[in-house]
Amino acid sequence: MYGWIWRHLPGNAWVRALISLVLVLALVYVLFQYVFPWAEPLLPFNDVTVDNGTAVNK
Amino acid sequence: MARTDRGRGRLAVAVSVFGELLITAGVVMALFVVYSLWWTNVLADREAKRQGHAVRNTWAQKGPGALDTKDGIGFLHVPAMKNGEVLVKSGTSTDVLNEGVAGFYRTPVKAAMPWDKQGNFTLAAHRDGHGAKFHNIDKVKTGDRLVFETRDVWYVYKVFAELKETSKYNVEVLDPVPKESGVTKPGRYLTLTTCTPVYTSDYRYIVWAELERTEKVDADRTKPAELR
Repeated sequence: MYGWIWRHLPGNAWVRALISLVLVLALVYVLFQYVFPWAEPLLPFNDVTVDNGTAVNK
Repeated sequence: MARTDRGRGRLAVAVSVFGELLITAGVVMALFVVYSLWWTNVLADREAKRQGHAVRNTWAQKGPGALDTKDGIGFLHVPAMKNGEVLVKSGTSTDVLNEGVAGFYRTPVKAAMPWDKQGNFTLAAHRDGHGAKFHNIDKVKTGDRLVFETRDVWYVYKVFAELKETSKYNVEVLDPVPKESGVTKPGRYLTLTTCTPVYTSDYRYIVWAELERTEKVDADRTKPAELR
C-alpha cells in the first residue's frame, strides 16, 4: 500500500519524501481537527459528572 | 508493476496490505492518545486563560456587582492540586467543561452558590484532557483548604470527606445535605466531582468541603493565608 503510493509519487527520492511528509502532516491535521473531536464523545473516557444527562435518571 | 512484485502471489500482496493497515490503525490510536492527553489540554488551557483574563478585567472595572454567570463566577484555588486557579462557570455540559474550566451543576441537582445562606456548591471538571483541572483530586486530603475567589470575597473551605469511588449515577452526592459524607445538618458545603480511575470514566471521585470562613477581598487582592 505505502510502497504503491511511493512508486506513484512524482520526482526523485527527495521530492517524494517531501510530498510524503506533507501528506502525513495533512492527515494528522485532519485527524486532530475533525476526526478526533468527532470520535471523542463517542468513547467512554471523559465523562466526569454524576448522572451526566445521558443516562437513565435514577 | 515493479519487478519485485513479479512472482509474488495475490495472497502475499493482500497480507502485506493488511499488515500495513494494522500498523496504520496502531499509529492512529497512538495519535488519539496524544490528542486526548496533550492537544486538548493545550486548547483548553488557552481558552481558560483567555476567559479568566476577561473575568478579571470585568472585575477590575468598577461598577455594579452584576453577576454574569455566563462568563464565570469566580476562581477555585486548590493548593493540594498544584494547578493554579480554575475558572468556574455555569453548567456541566461537555461544551463548558471542554473549555478547561470547572462547571457548577444545574442538573440533576441545582448547585447552591457560595454566598447562599446554606446549600451545596457542586462542581465538576475533567480528570484528563481538556485542561485536566481536577487531575490531582486524589491529592486532596481531609483537612486541606480550598479557596473560592469571587470579585469581592474569598470563601475558604475545609475538606472533611472524600469518596474515592462511586457510581456515576450516584446523584445524592450533590444533595444540599450530602448524607454520604457524614453530615446531617444543612450547611455551606462544596462538592468536587470528577471521573476515576485516571484515563477512564467508569466511576466518580468525590471530595466534600465545608465553608470555614470568608474574607473580604482588599484593594490589592491579597491572597488569604491558605494560598500563600
